[in-house]
Amino acid sequence: MTIVNVKELKKAALEIRKNLLKLCSIQSIHIGGDLSITDVMTVLWQYQMNYNPSNIRDENRDRFVLSKGHASAVTSFNQAAIGCFSTEDVFKEYATDEGRFSMHSCNLVNPYVEVSTGSLGHGFPVACGMAAALKLKKNFNSRVYVVMGDGEQSEGSIWEAVMNAVHYKLGNLVAIIDFNKLEADGNIDDITSLGNIANKYRVFGWNVCEFDGNDINTIKDYFDKLPPANSDIPTVFICHTIKGKGISFMENNVRWHAGKITEEQYKECIKELEYNFSC
Amino acid sequence: MKIFNFNEKYFLRNIMGAYMVNIGNQNEKVVVVNADLSGTCRNKTFTEIFPERAFNVGIAEQNMVSFAAGLAHEGFIPYVFSMAPFICMRACEQCRTDVAYANLNVRLMGTYAGLSGGISGATHWSVEDCAIMGSIANMIVLEPCDPIQAKKMMEATLKYNGPIYIRSTVEPVISIYNNDYEYKIGKASIVKDGVDGAYICSGITVKYALEAALRIEKKIGKSICVIDMHTIKPIDKEAVIKAAKTGNIVVAQDHNKIGGLGYYVAIILAEEKISTNFINLGVEDKFEAMAHAPYLYNKLGYDADGLEKAMINLINKN
Repeated sequence: MTIVNVKELKKAALEIRKNLLKLCSIQSIHIGGDLSITDVMTVLWQYQMNYNPSNIRDENRDRFVLSKGHASAVTSFNQAAIGCFSTEDVFKEYATDEGRFSMHSCNLVNPYVEVSTGSLGHGFPVACGMAAALKLKKNFNSRVYVVMGDGEQSEGSIWEAVMNAVHYKLGNLVAIIDFNKLEADGNIDDITSLGNIANKYRVFGWNVCEFDGNDINTIKDYFDKLPPANSDIPTVFICHTIKGKGISFMENNVRWHAGKITEEQYKECIKELEYNFSC
Repeated sequence: MKIFNFNEKYFLRNIMGAYMVNIGNQNEKVVVVNADLSGTCRNKTFTEIFPERAFNVGIAEQNMVSFAAGLAHEGFIPYVFSMAPFICMRACEQCRTDVAYANLNVRLMGTYAGLSGGISGATHWSVEDCAIMGSIANMIVLEPCDPIQAKKMMEATLKYNGPIYIRSTVEPVISIYNNDYEYKIGKASIVKDGVDGAYICSGITVKYALEAALRIEKKIGKSICVIDMHTIKPIDKEAVIKAAKTGNIVVAQDHNKIGGLGYYVAIILAEEKISTNFINLGVEDKFEAMAHAPYLYNKLGYDADGLEKAMINLINKN
């Protein structure tokens, strides 16, 4: 079910955040990077993508690859929201033995995962291959959306693929970078800075869009303005986000790259989310 | 029995690279992915005939394998060409995570298997690949030893479902099989029958084993079986058990002795509680300096001379 109204999308994102916090009170999850990309993922899954849960092999569907595989929870809750399975299923099965949902997305147990991921720097080049395959099949309507982390940009394989995507004119490829400025060990700028990441993609020949990745209105605008899938230049969304977005004690705090909250914290989090995001 | 000519020189990379055109003609889903070695891998004719179905990602083996995985996710059958060490080591995790985990129809074509890279040195040798690729779930490991087998092996890859790694030597091979040869993945080929001992070998070592077996027969009248274990994984258990009945097994592999064909054979012998004389020949667990491959095969004792000596030693032990 597609949501076209910005106010409704904001509500949907709030719902995703509440689900994430609830799950985080049951299991340790990558909550920081889930919350930073929640708004983009909500617009992507609940507005933008052509994806029918009852026909998941439809040749005309848009493809989604989660290159930052640890953002599996925010993906699963969005897939639940469009009817792939129930939200309750995610709570029940997450991080259980052979459950469909866990720390990273796995196609062996969850058919809604196009590509199993977890190790960084893999999903993006695979997505490039898929985008090239779509062109070869003369499927000029579908796009491949791939969500990467900012820390993930350090992987050499990313830059191999950055060059190829331009060379093979993969205008049907939309790369999304969750630029939340933090990775597992701390600030990216203190580890290996990305410098001007937008310029880097630009000089490699990409169509670069840089915007506030926690603003639903803006995100929707940029999706609306995407060049057609049959164009020749790949697009990258550099989404400036806040790690842990929406929860004051988690925001910009590397401690919440991954973790679990107490029942007490959970109640506070829900109050804060409602205060911050209720429309 | 076929008359073998040990002076013949067939080059598998030429044969397999050229044969890609036939494979491409048979199935329009076949695509080729190179990483700047289409010349070395001799598949340029395919890239000229099917330019749309040929990708060259530049010197970027990780991307080469991941990109191929993406193509396979969308129903294509990518043949990925590079040197064996770059496929199975530079792109090892991509082979495992992007290709094997998803059980994709990617064919990883690694030339320069074993020490055949010779004077290029250890960077271009691949004496670890059977261990590396063999320990990846879903991945099977094949190695051709002659022109007809190489083509039939490639034909078989069109019908097989799942990832395949093919290692092949750049050293010249001889003609072993006739046109009526039946190739089946997982079923070893008996090149020569024999009851007094058995060589179990693959790739370049098949011709050496055959030469050694014929010499032994002439010199001391013992008949030695030569088993071409072209499918290293999954290994043909029945063929190993048959070889063991001779009481003398010499395994010859252009690979580190550790983790190669010898280990695959030995585990069957152990599990089946078979007692037999056994020698495992291959590359010692140390780096060698650059040298021509035949020199190294001689030095390490798995050319025809080394194999002959090893088998005679085993027979004399009895």
